[in-house]
Amino acid sequence: MPIMRTLGPGSLSSFMKAVLDVVWGLLLVVLAILGASLLYGVLAAFNPAMPFARLVLFEGLDPLQAWAVVLARLGTAVLFVGGVLTIVSSLRKLFATLKAGDPFHPDNVTRLRVVAVGLAWLELVRYAVWTLGALLPPQAAPDRPNLSLTAWFSILVVVVLAEVFREGARLRRESELTI
Amino acid sequence: MPVRLHLDRLLVQRRMSLAELADRTGVSAANLAILKAGDARALRFSTLDALCRELACQPADLLTWEP
Repeated sequence: MPIMRTLGPGSLSSFMKAVLDVVWGLLLVVLAILGASLLYGVLAAFNPAMPFARLVLFEGLDPLQAWAVVLARLGTAVLFVGGVLTIVSSLRKLFATLKAGDPFHPDNVTRLRVVAVGLAWLELVRYAVWTLGALLPPQAAPDRPNLSLTAWFSILVVVVLAEVFREGARLRRESELTI
Repeated sequence: MPVRLHLDRLLVQRRMSLAELADRTGVSAANLAILKAGDARALRFSTLDALCRELACQPADLLTWEP
């Protein structure tokens, strides 16, 4: 059985680039829906005449408080999906260079750093949601997040990988100027 | 970089064009232009050998170090 190549056209990178393209498209749709819902929620919270404006989701909360909870959750989802979209967008560009057989493209260093910052952003959003959740009514407050060592370790791995790619890009540039 | 390559001077002395040197050494004219402009980061022994052979010179004639 032939082993699938990891770089170049028709390789594993090529397959992953196609998957990332699909995920990126889906995330864009999700973000658009969330954005539209957020906008509708802001309008509906202050205009009881709009459809679904008299929201009753939590016992003991009036519609305005219920909308505040829903808007907070929608806002969190927008921040979270935005972060994932940024990561996927960078990974798409990175995998395009892998598909082209050019892993040490100088821009890949920045792309990996963006992925690391994006992953850190997602973790920080989780903690921020929990912290700001104290402002919400008790029945709507989010659960306390666990400190995910795996996530922070992954972030550090990506940061180190970015430096590895920076060194690779430097060596490639040097080899191009070795005559 | 304080190491300088005097390819232009040797080409004038040998009355040889860059294209002719490229043809004789097998090093591309583009790479020789990089060498001539002083933009190269490193020089292979094989390239130095070809340059010295075709320009009938010693490495010290090609390279000098300026502090």
